[in-house]
Amino acid sequence: MGFREKIAWVSLGAMIPAYGVYFGTILAAGDEAQGAVTPESLWMLWLFAGVTAAQAGAISLMGVVLAIRAGRDSRRAADERERAITRRGSAVAYHVLLAGTILVGVVMPFEASGWRLINAALFVLVLGEFTRHAVVLFSYRRGWHG
Amino acid sequence: MARLAFTNRIRTLRFLAGEMTQAELGEAIGVTRQTIAAIEAGKYSPTLEAAFRIAQVFGKPLDHVFQWSGAEDEASGDPAAPAGEAGQP
Repeated sequence: MGFREKIAWVSLGAMIPAYGVYFGTILAAGDEAQGAVTPESLWMLWLFAGVTAAQAGAISLMGVVLAIRAGRDSRRAADERERAITRRGSAVAYHVLLAGTILVGVVMPFEASGWRLINAALFVLVLGEFTRHAVVLFSYRRGWHG
Repeated sequence: MARLAFTNRIRTLRFLAGEMTQAELGEAIGVTRQTIAAIEAGKYSPTLEAAFRIAQVFGKPLDHVFQWSGAEDEASGDPAAPAGEAGQP
């Protein structure tokens, strides 16, 4: 397994528990996580910032460990297959983000507001990133002909 | 994924070239060992430039390294999709 594929596995692996904690907490909070934005409800924002920072920290740490172990392989530029797989991941994720943005930004405001809208937007962002990493890993494992 | 109409003899040619490793071939043409493995396994179609570089390493014509079978493409149902990249079904 190449260095860049390992980084993709680490990124996806860090996302799942991090955002699982956030959205699981939001779902468990029930109506409090659906209502208007108030000073008392800002804990959700801090929670999201916290899990994002924790995820970034975990990915950075694992990235350093993997880079040390990979040596020269981690410093060379991406080859044609890696660039093609990266492009594929971004292309698919773009459509997920586009659909989600239309849903959250155009459709949902007619019936939702406050934290429900904010959390839906955050979910779309996370889903887009998850899709990107998942497509990249699928392409590495199953093959992608560019 | 569509069945490819290409095959390749890279593994055989590596063996005949003094048991060249995938890493050595990859370094010679500017790709990773994993990319060479993917090409041999038919999981990746190299660009035209990479295909020519591989042929140059072995000192063989391109069509000796990669073969076009002209088989029907399963995904589209159209016969013999235009050649542009090489790989192994």
